[in-house]
Amino acid sequence: MLALAPRAWHVDDVRTTRRRRETLTGFTLLAPSLVGTVVFLLVPVAVALWLSFQRWDLVSPARWAGLANYAAVLTDAGIRHSFAVTILFTLLVIPTQTVLGLGVAVLLARRLPGSGFFRVVYVVPWICAPLVVGLVWRWMFDPSTGALNAIVGTRVEWLSSHTLALPAVAFVTVWTQVGYVALFFLAGLAGIPPQLSDAARVDGAGPWRVFRSITLPLLRPTTSFVLITGVISSFQVFDTVYAMTEGGPGGATSVVAYEIYSEAFTALRMGRAAAIAVVLLVILVALTLLQRWWFGRRTTYEVSA
Amino acid sequence: MRRGPRIGLGIGITYLVLLAGAVLALAPYLLSLLTSLKQPVQLARQATLTWPAPWTGENYANVLGGQYTLLPALVVTVQVVLVLLVGQLVCSVLAAYAFARLEFPGKRLLFGGYLATMMVPQVVTIVPLYVMFAQAGLRNTFWGIVLPTLFGSPFAVYLLREHFRGVPQDLEDAAKLDGCGTLRILRHVVVPLSRPVLATLAVITVVSQWNNFLWPLIITTGPTWQTLTVATANLQSQYNGNWTLVTAATTLAMAPLVALFLLVNRRITESIAVTGFR
Repeated sequence: MLALAPRAWHVDDVRTTRRRRETLTGFTLLAPSLVGTVVFLLVPVAVALWLSFQRWDLVSPARWAGLANYAAVLTDAGIRHSFAVTILFTLLVIPTQTVLGLGVAVLLARRLPGSGFFRVVYVVPWICAPLVVGLVWRWMFDPSTGALNAIVGTRVEWLSSHTLALPAVAFVTVWTQVGYVALFFLAGLAGIPPQLSDAARVDGAGPWRVFRSITLPLLRPTTSFVLITGVISSFQVFDTVYAMTEGGPGGATSVVAYEIYSEAFTALRMGRAAAIAVVLLVILVALTLLQRWWFGRRTTYEVSA
Repeated sequence: MRRGPRIGLGIGITYLVLLAGAVLALAPYLLSLLTSLKQPVQLARQATLTWPAPWTGENYANVLGGQYTLLPALVVTVQVVLVLLVGQLVCSVLAAYAFARLEFPGKRLLFGGYLATMMVPQVVTIVPLYVMFAQAGLRNTFWGIVLPTLFGSPFAVYLLREHFRGVPQDLEDAAKLDGCGTLRILRHVVVPLSRPVLATLAVITVVSQWNNFLWPLIITTGPTWQTLTVATANLQSQYNGNWTLVTAATTLAMAPLVALFLLVNRRITESIAVTGFR
């Protein structure tokens, strides 16, 4: 250091070249990932925007369509219906899987012998491909040779019934997700120091009171995470629907993702499909920001174990 | 222990509920496994909830090597998963290290951009991606399947960056003094210290790519490049109602992943809680 001090200009020089080299290294390391993100994520979003103003069937040249595709999203009965179906599906799935997941987590958190086994068993449905799980359940629900009617004892046309098809798809979704949701709540519960509930119990609080006034508020970060990711994935459900009902009967389970798929690849209306996708993107971003704001607004408790 | 009997009752109820849940979680697998071991005639003529009589492997013989073979799809899927595993891990590690340790102009802005792109759902990009790939002549090719996710995901970069920031800087400085370049530091210091998180990410990649359906469904046509999920779906729609065959196919399609899960289940259940994967 001392030896270098009189030649300070030299140090500066070394520093700038080093900085330049670091910049070069940085961008070199970043390059593959950056190119991938730009080409396969950002450019597609831009292309979706462009497509949403076109009328195009993949065969004849694309034509400018102005706002016609967005007008269709607002007025077309099928598309509007698909948004309604998605919202209904979300309302069926999210509260159920959150409450059941929390319940399972509370039971598992008692750490009785064998808890580890149950934890593994509950996650198995979630590790399997939703498409394949959907096919298994399509057989379970099959009216003549399926297991469910054999158990119930009467012939119920589960998946071809207008009223039962969507709840059936929602049930299968909940069935795959409960163990997964429970894992998060389990991690959240492990982060709550036992002294707090012990103190409340000493003050005379019963188990329900402890759960409501101590456990639930302290779980809020976990709950918000589970709800946000749950809603986002439920708005994109596709595989289960494709496997179980193919959007039917009569559009009863035609969720938004399925509508995008069939507009684009069955009806060959690329512009319309893109417009639905853009609207879905806007809704999902808005929902994410809204939920973050909602859960950030309430008091959160920092607990260090 | 003062309230012994009540606690005993509570434990009993807990086990009862947990057991009921486990039965509900496993029943579809076991029932479809039993069905896949029956002859089609038996499923058609007898009650569904009976043991296979006789037990038969013909459905599996059919989906493994017979006329409905899933083997080519299995080979494609394994190839896709392996290529994506290597591609995603390498690209994400490099990018995450740049974000975690190097200084360059625009870094914060770029990283903010990465975080924002995590909000873009897959359903939104499939139509434009299909159009782009069709124009580029990549439909129904191996690269058509893997390219969109080959270069890693913003989520993986985010996860690894968080982890790399926790690697002691002293170790890297020491390596630098010994004359190591960035790549050698990565290989000999950062990566060995990050084995757990890399293993987690590897498991995540394998599971999500093995299960991926929508993109392979759209970008492939015909039997050459269809993945296992696509092939299973096609088998079902082609032989609708032939459930002994279809349940053999679904069992076969799930078996490798379930086996992997049972093998490394601790890692998976822990990593889910840590990372919130998907």
